[in-house]
Amino acid sequence: MNSYNPIQALLLFLLIAGILYVLLRPTKGWFWIIKNNFKSNEKVIIEDILKQLYHFENSGNKIDTKTLVQVLKFSNHHIIEVLKKMTINDLIYFESDVLKLTEAGRDYALRIVRVHRLWERYLADKTGFSKEEWHDRAEMMEHRLSHDETNMLAARLGNPKFDPHGDPIPTHTGKMAEVSGMELPLLPVNAIGRITHIEDEPEIIYKQILAENIHIGSIIRVIENNATRITFQSEGEEFRLAPIVAANLTVALLEEKVVLEENIARLSSLKEDETAKIIGISRESRGESRRRLLDLGFVKGATIKIDLMNPLGEPNAYLIKGTSIALRHDQAAKILIKKE
Amino acid sequence: MEHKNIDHILELSNELRWQIGDDFHDNLTEGIYADAAQIVSDSVQVDTSKKRFRLDRQIDKIVTSKTFGFPIMFLILATVLWLTIVGANYPSSLLAQLLLDTIHPLLKSGAAAISMPWWLDGFLIDGVYLAVAWVIAVMLPPMAIFFPMFTLLEDFGYLPRIAFNLDSLFKKAGAHGKQALTMSMGFGCNAAGVVATRIIDSPRERLIAIITNNFSLCNGRWPTQILIATIFIGAVAPSSFSSLASLLAVIGIAVLGMFFMFTTSWALSKTVLKGQVSTFNLELPPYRPPRFWKTIYTSLIDRTMIVLWRAIVFAAPAGAAIWLISNIHIGNESIAAWAIDALDGFGFLLGLNGVILLAYIVAIPANEIVIPTILMLTVLVTGLDAGAGAGVMFELDSANATGAILRAGGWTLLTAINLMLFSLLHNPCSTTIYTIYKETKSIKWTVFASVMPVILGFIVTFLVAQIWRIVF
Repeated sequence: MNSYNPIQALLLFLLIAGILYVLLRPTKGWFWIIKNNFKSNEKVIIEDILKQLYHFENSGNKIDTKTLVQVLKFSNHHIIEVLKKMTINDLIYFESDVLKLTEAGRDYALRIVRVHRLWERYLADKTGFSKEEWHDRAEMMEHRLSHDETNMLAARLGNPKFDPHGDPIPTHTGKMAEVSGMELPLLPVNAIGRITHIEDEPEIIYKQILAENIHIGSIIRVIENNATRITFQSEGEEFRLAPIVAANLTVALLEEKVVLEENIARLSSLKEDETAKIIGISRESRGESRRRLLDLGFVKGATIKIDLMNPLGEPNAYLIKGTSIALRHDQAAKILIKKE
Repeated sequence: MEHKNIDHILELSNELRWQIGDDFHDNLTEGIYADAAQIVSDSVQVDTSKKRFRLDRQIDKIVTSKTFGFPIMFLILATVLWLTIVGANYPSSLLAQLLLDTIHPLLKSGAAAISMPWWLDGFLIDGVYLAVAWVIAVMLPPMAIFFPMFTLLEDFGYLPRIAFNLDSLFKKAGAHGKQALTMSMGFGCNAAGVVATRIIDSPRERLIAIITNNFSLCNGRWPTQILIATIFIGAVAPSSFSSLASLLAVIGIAVLGMFFMFTTSWALSKTVLKGQVSTFNLELPPYRPPRFWKTIYTSLIDRTMIVLWRAIVFAAPAGAAIWLISNIHIGNESIAAWAIDALDGFGFLLGLNGVILLAYIVAIPANEIVIPTILMLTVLVTGLDAGAGAGVMFELDSANATGAILRAGGWTLLTAINLMLFSLLHNPCSTTIYTIYKETKSIKWTVFASVMPVILGFIVTFLVAQIWRIVF
């Protein structure tokens, strides 16, 4: 203890703590970055290229090597190297300078897309990861699952048709459900439709949509549509979006026979002493949470009213089927009601 | 041929599943509820007066109101804790008199009468018996008071209202409102608190509640806190305020525990536990008059006795270990002395000493025997004339005499404060660790829940010690 000095000890501690922080902090820590870099091998590059080509071709766009290099995060000479190999292996071919998928390449790409969407569905239904994380986690997972593992996963999830954003999941034979609808900014004023798809890229826009609490499967009515903003009404609330954000929402027009019930609202908007009937649970409520709500009796047609207001604002207790159940605000927002 | 048929059926079922669509489960549940409602309306007659339900609502309005809700809650919790800590003193001292002051000497003289070898007598009676007797004397009374009171509140239906009132605080920490209950239960006993987390049905929030339960000061630690605060912190304050000062210090430690509970809960939910499934729902059952005797009986059998039994099972080998390390010599020193010597440097860095660290290592089975072990070890290394010999734990009747021994062992105000902090922030006792394993069935989470608080304790005491030495 001769050399002991409290100031030195404290500084040494802070130094070690600082180093550990730099190394291990979530996602941006050096340890994780290095670990991830080790994984970006040839297979990953091939699969990412195939996926990009698939998405470009599906949206009817053409892509050349230059654009591809800009879109992908790998170094240029890596990509060029891999492209050469892919041409030899008959996954892609060049039409003048435009890249195209061969039949085999398209099959391969479809398999990657299948894993990605299945994994997002798995994250949504069976884990507690927040929505912002789904995409990045699926991006990593799509390179890891084998063909058999993917089929087992699909079977466990009940061979779902759609991923949580509303994108169709290809079956193992490559069959895919149809997505109907158009981008929200293309809808005329007073059009009524159902949100069928929420695009999760780019992340910045997706986060804005999440912050607005817009739910997939909701019925909406466009109130205002011009170059600066799009306003629509849904579930008793009004939403205002910039056109660039709104373009990430796909809406399927409803047939004119379906009349939008004007007094549909979210349970979270129910006031003390009001009574309402439940219309249903939003598709945003998934997995365990949804099952639990159903089991507790939050089903279509059930009468509901507020039993107790919380002194701190939430959760409020609702009286349903003679039982008092407390729900948090974000859960109540996913239950649709019709006030009486 | 058979195989082909199965494939065909599987194919068909997949096809049908696609056609049914995603709403299948919703529709099924709806159908079940519709049928149930039909059966109810056909066969059940409802008494329309509903008088009892009104009373329920009146109670609910009061206990969840903005004005009275929180004062009532704190009052009830404070009363339960006060009754436990103060009320347990009398039966505890009676038991101690019986088990430690009467039966222990009897056993010793009995062993002498049949001329048992000194090592067997020491190992069995001073080691194993003494540790077990100590744990029973200190642990049984508070648990026998705390658990029935808590269970009565539970049976009455009040506890879910606490969870209801406090949920939004816990939500901010990524936890479940019911954690308020398991935390309060932890004030009685962490092992029981961990078992109580069964009421939380969401996997993520339940793990959070299990891992952070250790931050509730349990019955085994309250006496340590009170004793050390009385001796050292009470002494610093002017004599008219000394008991108030030590009381505030103990409450301060308990509140600090809650602070750590909230911060760790938040950190866990944002990092290692973020992938676990998280759901929320909280049922507020109707009130009912508690079934007094049944409650007392079940809480004594189910909670008190089970926990006590586990504690005894773990305390016996600990008693043996304590006696052995103080009586087996390597060279000219006992193992305990060697270990204390080795731990002293690290202990000094933390503002503690080797004796305290060794005491916490051998007394993992029960926090109750930490202070007796510290006293015994201090006497062992300082060579003071007190206590009952190597390996025999003891406690003194007066706080002053205890303080004198500890000061002779080199204790300062810093040692006392850091002991109080370390008593809050260290690994759970072995009973709790075992219970965590039983509840989580996961070695990973058990190790995590055991190691994380010690590391936190090291960091906190280290920082306090360095800053203290720089400032003073």
